[in-house]
Amino acid sequence: MALLLITSVVTCAAAEVAEPQELWDGPMHGETPSTLAGAQVVDAPAIAALRQGALLLDVAETPKKPGNMAPDSLWRPIHMSIPGAVWLVGAGLGSSSPAFQSKFDERLAGLTGGDKQKPIVVFCHPKCWGSWNAAKRLVMLGYARVYWFREGVEGWQEKFEAAPVEPDATWADAEK
Amino acid sequence: MNKMTRRIAVLLFASLAAGTPALAETPDSPAARENRWRDLEKSVFDGLTATPDSKIVALEAPIRAEDASLVPMTITLGGDRIKELYLIIDDNPAPVAAHFIFGPAGDPHVVKLRVRVNSYTNVHAVAVLQDGRLVEDAKFVKASGGCSAPMGESDEEATKGMGEMRLKFPGAAIPGAPTEATLMVKHPNFNGMQMNQVTRMYTPARFIDRITVKDGGALVFDLEASLSLATNPVLSFNFDPQPAGPVTVEVHDTDGGYWRQDFVHPSATN
Repeated sequence: MALLLITSVVTCAAAEVAEPQELWDGPMHGETPSTLAGAQVVDAPAIAALRQGALLLDVAETPKKPGNMAPDSLWRPIHMSIPGAVWLVGAGLGSSSPAFQSKFDERLAGLTGGDKQKPIVVFCHPKCWGSWNAAKRLVMLGYARVYWFREGVEGWQEKFEAAPVEPDATWADAEK
Repeated sequence: MNKMTRRIAVLLFASLAAGTPALAETPDSPAARENRWRDLEKSVFDGLTATPDSKIVALEAPIRAEDASLVPMTITLGGDRIKELYLIIDDNPAPVAAHFIFGPAGDPHVVKLRVRVNSYTNVHAVAVLQDGRLVEDAKFVKASGGCSAPMGESDEEATKGMGEMRLKFPGAAIPGAPTEATLMVKHPNFNGMQMNQVTRMYTPARFIDRITVKDGGALVFDLEASLSLATNPVLSFNFDPQPAGPVTVEVHDTDGGYWRQDFVHPSATN
């Protein structure tokens, strides 16, 4: 019966995670590398300084209402982000599909006005490969000033206020 | 224009103005959280409003949770006048975490449970009194990622022994002398937001949605639970021991799982 008292423990790999050469196609939640070639890793105060003039890109996933929940039960997912951020739900997939690639390319061109020099800060949560992937994809697309905020919105919340955000409608509409 | 129409209008406008992103503009604040609560309160309690009174309901929660998937909550209640208790985690996707309905053998004094918290949020404990009045207490909890935190073991391992339970009594259960009990149920309480680290698929939701405790056939409480209950829930409550016992615990989950167990009063075994 001691089993009953065992709680879920998130085990963390102690070893440094090597940076993949390509987009990461493994489990999306887990220890991430501390670097990203072609991008700069930033912390919350650095973003606070960068914020004006930069595109803040949140690529976190959104929870789905389980089908076995009572249909009339309340479901109100609220997503907190960095104030001023654009939320592209699930834009951190490691997918190599050309359709996903062009959807990502188009939305980013729209958001930056085609300016490859525009500073872009990419984040999701801690231990989230999504932001690493999205930042990697930006580097591969030729964006010159890509910042990866590894600690994610939780890291931001440690020091600053977060803001509720709705999913980006253009990105969601492009879902085919 | 009501809220919903306004929201639809905003969304319509957003989709018409293609390319214009919906920005997260206004930073969250105590006032913004309070507004969200007023909205939520309306939908949960059909437009009724709860007022604070710490003599009737007091919520104790950590200011900062060490483990967001296992956040302890203690609710101290003012006793017999209390008919029902809600634990609401304002910013969790399914905010109503637990709804207790106390019965004649219940003794609503202290309720303890552990929950998952998804983001920094207010947590509300709302008591429904016999006269229908609502009384609340709230705490702001800094915790995040509790809903998506993967289990440290495989799904199969986590499901092993599902429905096994144990009921602990700190002392003898003597009729007329209300006492405490702690119920432990083995159940993964998958909430559908946890990703299996091997298959990379989201583990489908399967969680306890009802726990009924009776003593000698008299209702102690009926609990409607949602996906915010922690894995392997541990629940402390008070009850008024009935002369005969036993304490019967019935647990239901969303997939039709049903477990029932009888526990003999410690007084009867001594």
